[in-house]
Amino acid sequence: MKALGPLTRDKQDTLLLVAAALLVVAPHFGHLPWWITGTVCVTLLWRVLLTLRGRRLPPIWLLLPIALIAMGGVFQSYGTLLGRDPGVAMLALLLAFKLLEMHAKRDLYVVLFLGFFLMLTNFFYSQSMLTGLAMAATLVVLLTVQITFQYTGTVPSLGRRLRLAGKMFVLATPLAAALFVLFPRFDGPLWGMPGDAQGPRSGLSDTMAPGTMTNLALSEEVAMRVRFDGAPPAQDRLYWRGVVLSHYDGRTWSRIGGRLYRRAGDAMTLRVDGKPLPYEVTLEPSQRRWLFTLELTPPALDVRGERVGVSDELESFTVRPIHQRVRYRAAAFADYAVQAGLDPALTGKWLQLPAGFNPRTRELGRQLRAEPGTTDMRIMARVLGHFRTQRFTYTLQPPLLGRDSIDEFLWVSRQGFCEHYAGAFVFLMRAAGIPARVVTGYQGGELNPVDGYMTVRQSDAHAWAEVWLAGHGWLRIDPTAAVAPERVRLGIGGALPREAPFGLSAFQNNKDSWLARLRFHVNAANNAWNQWVLDYNPERQRNFLAELSGLAGDWRVLAALPALLALGWLWRRLRARRRRDPVQTAWERFGVLLARRGIVRTPDEGPHSLARRVAALALPEEKKAAMAEFLELYAALRYRALDDDERHRSARRLAKLLSLSR
Amino acid sequence: MLEAFWRRVFRFERRKARDGEVVLTLRRVYILPARAGLAFTVLLLLMLVGATNYTLGLGFALTFLAASCAMADMLLTVKNLAGLRLAGGRAAPVFAGDAAQFEIHLHNAGNADRYAIRVGFGTDAAAEHAADVPARGSAAVALALPARERGWLRAPRIHLETRFPLGLFRAWSWWQPDLRVLVYPHPETPAQPLPMRGAASEEGHGEVGLDNFAGIRSYQPGDPLRHLAWRQIARLAPEDGGQLVTKHFEGGAVAELALDFALLPQHLDVEVRLARMTRWVLDAEQRALPYSFRLGGHTYAAGLGDAHRAACLQALALYGREEVP
Repeated sequence: MKALGPLTRDKQDTLLLVAAALLVVAPHFGHLPWWITGTVCVTLLWRVLLTLRGRRLPPIWLLLPIALIAMGGVFQSYGTLLGRDPGVAMLALLLAFKLLEMHAKRDLYVVLFLGFFLMLTNFFYSQSMLTGLAMAATLVVLLTVQITFQYTGTVPSLGRRLRLAGKMFVLATPLAAALFVLFPRFDGPLWGMPGDAQGPRSGLSDTMAPGTMTNLALSEEVAMRVRFDGAPPAQDRLYWRGVVLSHYDGRTWSRIGGRLYRRAGDAMTLRVDGKPLPYEVTLEPSQRRWLFTLELTPPALDVRGERVGVSDELESFTVRPIHQRVRYRAAAFADYAVQAGLDPALTGKWLQLPAGFNPRTRELGRQLRAEPGTTDMRIMARVLGHFRTQRFTYTLQPPLLGRDSIDEFLWVSRQGFCEHYAGAFVFLMRAAGIPARVVTGYQGGELNPVDGYMTVRQSDAHAWAEVWLAGHGWLRIDPTAAVAPERVRLGIGGALPREAPFGLSAFQNNKDSWLARLRFHVNAANNAWNQWVLDYNPERQRNFLAELSGLAGDWRVLAALPALLALGWLWRRLRARRRRDPVQTAWERFGVLLARRGIVRTPDEGPHSLARRVAALALPEEKKAAMAEFLELYAALRYRALDDDERHRSARRLAKLLSLSR
Repeated sequence: MLEAFWRRVFRFERRKARDGEVVLTLRRVYILPARAGLAFTVLLLLMLVGATNYTLGLGFALTFLAASCAMADMLLTVKNLAGLRLAGGRAAPVFAGDAAQFEIHLHNAGNADRYAIRVGFGTDAAAEHAADVPARGSAAVALALPARERGWLRAPRIHLETRFPLGLFRAWSWWQPDLRVLVYPHPETPAQPLPMRGAASEEGHGEVGLDNFAGIRSYQPGDPLRHLAWRQIARLAPEDGGQLVTKHFEGGAVAELALDFALLPQHLDVEVRLARMTRWVLDAEQRALPYSFRLGGHTYAAGLGDAHRAACLQALALYGREEVP
């Protein structure tokens, strides 16, 4: 600030404005094309130099071509001028150029209002808590700038202006919170959401090839958060069903049919038993249509604002891709049977195998089937036993496989991830004539003890198998569990202990380390942020208001409100009294006291004159002495120069004397 | 009752107005959005639409925060003006054709500084003055008004306006101060010579000497320093055209200067005669020649000095409009 000291007020104000503009655009630098970032920075720097040197702003005939060229550049970069990203880019450029074209006070408002809007566009890219904090800080700075330009005479220091802006912010917060909660919200977009509304995200895809799952396993991104109404089930029961893959082309597993129709399958029969386990899922936007349900949830999902469908394979999906967080409630059953009475003729499509791939595996399947007296159950048990005993390993870094990937995996590498085990298992089952399919989804989840939410991350992505047995229907078989039971029992973190970064034990994935606890708290805060700030939708608003009105009916709340008001009023009164000069208060009380004894002070009468009249009163001596001392002390306090300490002591003595004079 | 409650809550008022003063209570302060405020409303709507369309939770938060800041601005803008105590200050007499200066005092009994309060007559925005009033302090502004006619000039209504702190709202109030300025007639130009009537002195024609003080004249090189008329020199600062003047002594004749309205040619317009009298009063004062004065019912014996001058000029200013307002 020292360097700004000798600058004129005009220059200081302008530099502050440029700083605020930089603060507003800086978060956009991460996603703007490099040349726009550069142009904005150069323009701002230009403005700073012009200001420091006291030069005039460039003329319009120089600015206009530059602005037009920049617009052309935006078109070049994005291929369009419409839409979200080019819009943001143009706003950023406009803000920078407008700083070079400021002549009237009106232009200042244009710059500031552009700044406000640019702040809003930043939320397209990030809505984290940190972004929220940055927004609050930026808002205070923008307010400071706006205030700064309003002064006509003396201008307080930057600190005081910041404090005034902060005060406005604090004043605004309760009203803003009330508006946030009560302002009617509308469903969905007002116009068609542009395709680029959300960037690509990692997530479970509709196909599975080697590497699909391993890529996900490295992502700590949250896939969904789940809250169970009761106690959550054990880890090894947490199978979140997603996509069912049946078609194998030798390398990639994919869905049969491809397209999703909104219908409940004709051939689907479902029998559930036992107590339902209700839960609520908050699914992060995936840009795909899949909804994940705990196995096994009967297909009756209700997702607000979305039309939901279910396929014959018990996949739940939405009609539109999921661009925003969605929330749905469901109930799962532990005991179930799916399509137990399926006509074996209909199971043919679950036996499909590509010709000319993995001959050894096919041969093995045939051998298993050819064994005399074998049953489907026995074949399955033998294969799983094979996985268990033949030194198969579960790893995130499996070797690359060639054309006959399953052959290679089963006989050469024997290292794989869930996708390898599930794929190989299903292939082998089909080779042995057992209808089988791959199910992908998530397995496990981390329960946050702070808020009771279970977090399912992309790293929990998992693939398992389903085989159909006559009379039993589709059975879930997890071949990975045969190799690495801890994957299912403890979750991905337990199966693949990561090396402690920096060799610090605190960073280890240990539930009791302080870092883990901190992480739980951060996660809970993030979740609360998502649930209450980002996803405060009409549904949540309705529920919250219903809860609130229920609360208002409570007599305790009704009683507390007036009590709070009364407390606030009392506090104000007390504060007002404290602010009054105690000496003056004592003097006025003394006047009342004298009046009761028949001495009425004339307006021009001072303490010394009063002292003479008091001396003439017929009163006990000690009382008269106290009164005389009071008057003397009052005169001293009023008219003599005393230091603070002395003043304080005298004022207290004055109060004492007042009560003695009574 | 309710109003008193709010007054207490917001502490707009701390002190009762004295006579001729006024406290701008809440009722007297009007507020409307300024043009920037209207633009801000449009901005808020745009932000709301954007937040709704893209379902930006934080976008809603920012929009509502910005809207609430505007509400806070409205409150602070009113508070910046309300509770201000206004009082009139000095109002020095002027000559017609000059600008009358009305001094206005703004007292702030509150705990918050008040900034950027524009004070003017509401007719000409350019002639407005901006004032800052510190907490528990006061500020003064002098508003100029052209004085065209002689006589009393009452201060017109005063317009107070502020847009502080954010400029989104315009709060304003009007105040009719109990202020007036006495406007003297415009002194006649070019000046007529003073009506000196030389009366023979008792000694008859004396020599030019140092006996008889005969006014002052401009300093000429060679004049003795002890003849410098310090009192007159001191009265006018050099930048106001002041210069060194020397006392001028004449022997022989004692000049008697009598300014009598009745002796002026009757065919002249009254205003012209008044203007001439005014000029003579000024000239006589400048040359420090004692003068007697007669105008209508006002008769003043020969004299000199500020009080004498003021009495004469006031008589001239109010001639024919004696009604005291």
